[in-house]
Amino acid sequence: MIMGKEKFILLAAMIVILIGAGSSAYVYATQTTTDNITINGQQYTIDQIFYIAEPRTFDSLNFSGIALDDLIIKTGVGCLECHEYTIIGDDGYQKTVTWENMQGGLLTKDGMTVFSDLPKAYRIKNIVKIEVI
Amino acid sequence: MGKMKLFAGIIVLGSLWGFAECIIGPALGDAGLPSGALMTSVFAIGLMMISRMLFKRRGMQLGMGLVAGALRLFNPFGGCVVCSAIAIAAEGLLFELIWYKMSLDFSELKTITMKLSMGIVTAYSCYVGGYVITQILTPMVASAGFYVENLIVFMPQILARGLLAAIVGGITVPAIFVLKDININNVKDRIYYPTAVSVSILCWVVVIANALFLMGA
Repeated sequence: MIMGKEKFILLAAMIVILIGAGSSAYVYATQTTTDNITINGQQYTIDQIFYIAEPRTFDSLNFSGIALDDLIIKTGVGCLECHEYTIIGDDGYQKTVTWENMQGGLLTKDGMTVFSDLPKAYRIKNIVKIEVI
Repeated sequence: MGKMKLFAGIIVLGSLWGFAECIIGPALGDAGLPSGALMTSVFAIGLMMISRMLFKRRGMQLGMGLVAGALRLFNPFGGCVVCSAIAIAAEGLLFELIWYKMSLDFSELKTITMKLSMGIVTAYSCYVGGYVITQILTPMVASAGFYVENLIVFMPQILARGLLAAIVGGITVPAIFVLKDININNVKDRIYYPTAVSVSILCWVVVIANALFLMGA
């Protein structure tokens, strides 16, 4: 009985290591590296984004950048409240937010989103895409 | 062993775990270290292993998770506090489930390979489980809402980050076995209870004082 349990534990540990190593290889292979940010299907450089959108600062959080809601407006998205917005980082991390959240959000110069009304889990680093859904 | 002694053990070890989550974890994060993986594989797994080894009782680890989670609620920093507290308690529950079929004298873990394997499986499961729970709960608590596709596309990252926790857990569990011969019943009550109470109070006071200090800063 103990022998069976020992084999099971050993097998489980090997599977765990394989899953971890396999996932690491997958993440490394699929990591996106680009200087552009795709917003609603159109590509922009960070300089272009900072040129077209209005600045926003969160003094209490010590962050400044451009207003995410204004960025979406300037990129020509219609019926803003009708959509939700999925923000995707270069590591695949993504979060979906509402228009109301976007109105309290900013994008920093180094490509990180910060929302005044959402927890740190919504601070997505090195964003590569904003999907309008 | 008396229920009071077990209860004191749950409080003191749970408080130490909560202290580590609130004070040491953020410090590791600030130092640029992977604090989540280290917190789970070193502090959470280490303290739960110590409790299982010294007290030889099931259920203690869940109790410790609840105490640590409760202490996390008093440290309102670093994102969704309630989600973190629930994730910590969930790690205690996952540990209980993984170790449920293991004998309390650890007769299955005679070889270093078995200890290492259990460390890998436990640390990985607790880390990935806690991470997934946080990813589900945080959007639900926040105004943005939970989207399952956001979790699915990020799963490879979570599974990959668990690898470090698994490797460190594989070191932590065999290391804790050096305490195997300590018999907690040999510790005199006049030393055990005052020590347990003092350490617990110290942990809670430091965490609450730290929270008040940061809020005032």
